[in-house]
Amino acid sequence: MTEARITEVLKKAGALRITRPDWKKNGLRLSAEIAPEKIQEVCSLLLKEGYTLLDLSAAEFQEGFLATYHLDNFQDPFRLALRVLIDREKAEIPSVASVYQGAEWHERESADFFGLKFSGNPNPVPLLLPHDLPLPPPLLKKPEALASLSALNFLGDELYSAPPEKAGDEDRGKGDGKDA
Amino acid sequence: MPSFNFVNPVDFLNMADSPGTYAGDFYTLNFEKNATPGNVILNLGPQHPSTHGVLRVLVELYGEYVLRSEPVLGYLHRMQEKMGEVKTPYQFLPNMGRVDYLNPISWNWAFAGAVERLAGLEPPERAEYLRVISSELNRISSHLLWWGAFVMDLGGVTPILYAFEEREKINDILQIVTGSRLTYNYFRFGGVGADADSRFFQLVEEFIPYMRERLKMYTGLVTDNVIFRRRLEGIGPMDEDLCRRYGATGPILRAAGVMCDARRLSPYGIYDRFDYDIPVGPSNDCFGRYLVRLEEIRESLRILEQAVKSVPEGPVIVAKAPKPTYKLPAGETYFAVEGARGQVACHIISDGGKTPYRVKLRAPGFSNLSLFAEAAKGVILADAIAILGSLDLVIPEVDR
Repeated sequence: MTEARITEVLKKAGALRITRPDWKKNGLRLSAEIAPEKIQEVCSLLLKEGYTLLDLSAAEFQEGFLATYHLDNFQDPFRLALRVLIDREKAEIPSVASVYQGAEWHERESADFFGLKFSGNPNPVPLLLPHDLPLPPPLLKKPEALASLSALNFLGDELYSAPPEKAGDEDRGKGDGKDA
Repeated sequence: MPSFNFVNPVDFLNMADSPGTYAGDFYTLNFEKNATPGNVILNLGPQHPSTHGVLRVLVELYGEYVLRSEPVLGYLHRMQEKMGEVKTPYQFLPNMGRVDYLNPISWNWAFAGAVERLAGLEPPERAEYLRVISSELNRISSHLLWWGAFVMDLGGVTPILYAFEEREKINDILQIVTGSRLTYNYFRFGGVGADADSRFFQLVEEFIPYMRERLKMYTGLVTDNVIFRRRLEGIGPMDEDLCRRYGATGPILRAAGVMCDARRLSPYGIYDRFDYDIPVGPSNDCFGRYLVRLEEIRESLRILEQAVKSVPEGPVIVAKAPKPTYKLPAGETYFAVEGARGQVACHIISDGGKTPYRVKLRAPGFSNLSLFAEAAKGVILADAIAILGSLDLVIPEVDR
């Protein structure tokens, strides 16, 4: 039930792809790929649904930076991951601090560790690292150490994929029955 | 005789009138940009006694009123997440005792649990019970230290000595199984590090009625004190909406009336086997948060009482436990447990290599502290200290 509703919300907000990871193994109910320019809209819709932003976990891959926003609902736990793939050259993403004020710090932390830019962050100064650190962002990897996101494939069963396929709602109904 | 040379004496009188032109580092100057001339910019910390560690809070004061504030972090930053990427999971595990030194068992559980999920390990029954017992003991000891320190922030210096008496008992008990009195490194992937003997269980059983008696004394000594209550009642209300926008969890959220506890809502380990309540606050002010934490000690004692009676015999770690060189299978996992301060979580991405590809630690204190600036807007400075204390901050955890 929750799954169908949240899938609907994410589709409406323009998610590119929605998958259902294995709850037991991955600890996530749904995972959605979001275009960078849509992340604010998705977050504000989820805030209306009662979701909170748990954390923002960025990582660097061959394809670019993957920012994973973990959200959960206090009353009706249903953990989501919103994934935004950020172009390596641009490394910029709209801030969601206007929706979730707590995101300000999470974004500043990711900016410290990965050199990402969050446009619209109300206070874009370093948070955990010194402002005059004479080093590159510490969590950047060497090019040869970068993993390929497509090879990892930890996203689980696909529930929805945005047009051109026009897949529509094809909830295959083989959930683990614990979604309610 | 050492002599003190005051180079560059600061003109304090004129400083307030022209912000930005005199003293101050990068963060002060950044904070002063939006200050109203005439207001005082004050640095609380980084070595202020009420900040419990090295937290620095910049405040803009109008008289005694806090107009604006901004916590400055990073004084205890150790880049734990980088260490997670350059060490094998087994080598990184001891770090979990050092992220939050007051509640290390929850961090042990978050990381060991995340690795177990990814590796598909199921700890034996006895280990599950020992995990619950050590975790609840640690929750109590963490709340006790918070209780003493919080009362001390408000001017009551003696209660912390009582809290330490109980805390010492818990340290003695946990020392039997963990071998240490702080920074516990007790959990292993697929179980726990050491079995408990009969003395351990006996001490836990003796501790439960003792702690219940002491809690009654706490009520008489502190909770019912009229000065104490006037310092807290109605101060720093934090409602559900504020918690949601900032991602605050734990006692702060429960004091706001939301029954949100990972032990109950998304049970891990064997928490679904015990009969206990999740205390929800009567009010969402500082006093409500205080009461919720004391009530949580009572509920933890209830869990302990049931757990100690039903510990089965058997091994405490799986037969083929991961070796120090253990490689995580490729994949991703997010595992959350309920710590003393809120939801502690570990997000691990592994590409199947020697070390994890990415380790993200979700510290509850980080999110809880981020709402301070909004909660402390317009209160007097002394109340801001009460609000800061009621958040139960452990700075090493916030900074990681």
